[in-house]
Amino acid sequence: MDRRDFLRRGAAASVVAGSYVVCGGYDWLISEPGGRAASLPFDLVAVRGGEPDVMFQKGIAALGGIGVFVKKGQKVVVKPNMGWDVPPERGGNTNPKLMAEIVRQCLGAGAREVYVFDHTCDNWQRCYRNSGIEAAVKEAGAKVAPAHTEGYFHNVSIPAGKVLKRAKEHELVLESDVFINVPILKNHGGSRLTVSMKNLMGNVWDRRFWHGNDLHQCIADFATFRRPTLNVVDAYYVMKRNGPRGVSVEDVVTMKAQLISTDMVAVDTAAARLFGMNPKDVDHIQFAADHKVGRMDLENLKIERIAI
Amino acid sequence: MQSLKKIRVVVSLLFFFLLSFLFVDLWNVVPVPVSNVLVSIQLVPSITKTLTLLTATSFGLLFVVLLTLLFGRVYCSSICPLGTLQDLVIRVAGRNRKHRWFRYSGAPVALHYAILAVVAIAFLGGSTLLLNLVEPFSNHGRIFSTLVSPIVVLLNNAVAWLLGQFGTYSLPTLAIRSVVIGVTFLPLAFLAVVVYLSYNYGRLFCNSLCPAGALLAILSRVSLFKIVIDEETCTECKLCEKVCKARCIQADTKRLDFDACVSCFNCIDVCPSVGLKYEALWKNKISPKPAEVDTGRRTFMNAAVTSLLAAVVPGSTSQDTTAASALSFDESRRHPIAPPGAISIEHFSSLCTACHLCVTVCPTQVLYPSLLEYGVAGILQPKMNYAASYCNYDCILCTEICPSGAILPVTAAAKKEIQIGKSVFVKEDCVVVSKKKACAACAEHCPTKAVRMVPYEGNLMIPELNNEICVGCGACEYPCPTEPRRAIYVVANSVHQKAKRPKVERLEEAVDKSKEFPF
Repeated sequence: MDRRDFLRRGAAASVVAGSYVVCGGYDWLISEPGGRAASLPFDLVAVRGGEPDVMFQKGIAALGGIGVFVKKGQKVVVKPNMGWDVPPERGGNTNPKLMAEIVRQCLGAGAREVYVFDHTCDNWQRCYRNSGIEAAVKEAGAKVAPAHTEGYFHNVSIPAGKVLKRAKEHELVLESDVFINVPILKNHGGSRLTVSMKNLMGNVWDRRFWHGNDLHQCIADFATFRRPTLNVVDAYYVMKRNGPRGVSVEDVVTMKAQLISTDMVAVDTAAARLFGMNPKDVDHIQFAADHKVGRMDLENLKIERIAI
Repeated sequence: MQSLKKIRVVVSLLFFFLLSFLFVDLWNVVPVPVSNVLVSIQLVPSITKTLTLLTATSFGLLFVVLLTLLFGRVYCSSICPLGTLQDLVIRVAGRNRKHRWFRYSGAPVALHYAILAVVAIAFLGGSTLLLNLVEPFSNHGRIFSTLVSPIVVLLNNAVAWLLGQFGTYSLPTLAIRSVVIGVTFLPLAFLAVVVYLSYNYGRLFCNSLCPAGALLAILSRVSLFKIVIDEETCTECKLCEKVCKARCIQADTKRLDFDACVSCFNCIDVCPSVGLKYEALWKNKISPKPAEVDTGRRTFMNAAVTSLLAAVVPGSTSQDTTAASALSFDESRRHPIAPPGAISIEHFSSLCTACHLCVTVCPTQVLYPSLLEYGVAGILQPKMNYAASYCNYDCILCTEICPSGAILPVTAAAKKEIQIGKSVFVKEDCVVVSKKKACAACAEHCPTKAVRMVPYEGNLMIPELNNEICVGCGACEYPCPTEPRRAIYVVANSVHQKAKRPKVERLEEAVDKSKEFPF
């Protein structure tokens, strides 16, 4: 029903562009990058020193509350990184407490339904279970969706892509009104860092192509496809080495930080700094900035810094 | 006495559905202990496992032996799923006028015992081939895992699609498993033989080819309870002979070959005059006598099976893998990789009866039936298929579930120290070298960091191997994007080795209490 709905609505969009239904559902298809951020009090909110849920409460409040992003009756996808069969303290997956808090707030703002999924690397059921995310978000009222077979993904074209021209995107992202991207910050052998843009690899089916054809460029290319409504970077447990899977808890630093922004490039740049890396060493951040996906010049952005 | 058949029917259907379901349980809804109990009372795997390792499974074997010593071959009619499968065929055949009634035909006893002997000798000599071909549990498992489970996948996905139309993801789709023609051939052929035999000759399979049937036939000769014909009350109506699917009742002479009887109790159920009794031996006034046998068919089948056996040479297991890197790609990949807990290819191959229960339950679907990689003797024994997936580091399901002892139980901690193979890295094929682009799919997935990224040129990092801590799980090989061959791949350890645990060093600062923002 949802997919047909999507196609029907897409057809309607071409006829009556600007009608409320279309705008309400698919404004991300026609909105300008950063258009929304212009009306926000800050381009980036950084929080330190609290529990994951508390930091989100303070951080989102600084941006005007979740209601700025989630309207009554909307369909929301909250996409964590839960690609690995490891428990939360290993820092391999997004913190379940943070996930649950975001879900609760979305539903509190009147979201019709909230979905959580990830195209995992390790066995999907073990990842969903052992990350602690499945149980936490279900309790908070979200629906957990599968993403382990190709049937859930649909072809999309990426007009701005240099290398990645096509991908298969999860249908929930295509059908949702609001897409909240919730990566965990960690070390990564290939992309150097995993933050918000890298986390979008969990939205697509064929990752092998990305790895075989300039990973950094593909990450940046895909970032041009759909900007998330909001990015929340979990830096509570931060894996400093052996990423993205990690070998033991000894790879992890308890950093108790969180970054929130609508701009993926800005949030990834700030995350690199937080991690202790020069953002320029992470090629895909630079490539995405070249694509005008967002801004790396943190010094010119309005940043709210909250210490708890 | 009349209720015996009803009990048998209920019990047999229960076992049939439960045991068949194990092999199509692609959702893993059956808990491991339940599965373990169910398969522990399957005769052949229970024997092979007990020979390998004395575990709780051995109680299952004890149970079956005692059951048979007490009550005859009730196993064949109640517990064996393949027996019930044949009964279903016989029931269908019964609708056909020509096949409605059975006539006595002495079981080819000598042939049956000869098959048991040859199968046993081959097995003890290290070859499971003959056992694989005729053993009922594994054949039943293969019929369901290979032939029925694709249908289950399609049905599941049809329902999932329907539910999806109503906007719910409550039933996830199941991945479609590739169907290899060679793998489906044996189960199909076996099913055809069993259907043909049961449709035309009742339980002839159980009394000619089945090694479990032969073993139980021996035990049932001395069983305490036996079905006997009471010469005083029998009215010679011959109904018992007509309904006997084991064809072991000769009504004319009032003989009943109890060693061929599968204790289905159809005869007792049908007898209008209580002419058949199921009694403890000490009450028996009539000692059951062996009846005349149809020697023509026996000779024919003897010859047929003997020639079949002659064509099969036991043994022919894989040779040792020499230093992996010294071998060319194709040569080193000839050896199959056996799952953790298999100890060695020899151990695995000499015990696995290829029931494919591990193939069914494997959550990552990395276990897949081989064709001839383990040699002719190891046909259809499962191997690790890193083209399709990789072994989840913390998963030990196959080791817990294996009924035969081919994969021995290991703890999750012990599994992490088992090296089933080693990685080989072909630098010039790697994306980092050939395209000068970042990749790291291998290191990303590696659970031990036996593959890790080290600085290469500029911002680029390149994989580096440390096979001391490699477990051979295939997490590097599976995601490697290079074509046509992977730049990193795993070669088998024909004898599994010990992997060192990854060295864990503390970070200088495990807690970052800073309240500063470096931007």
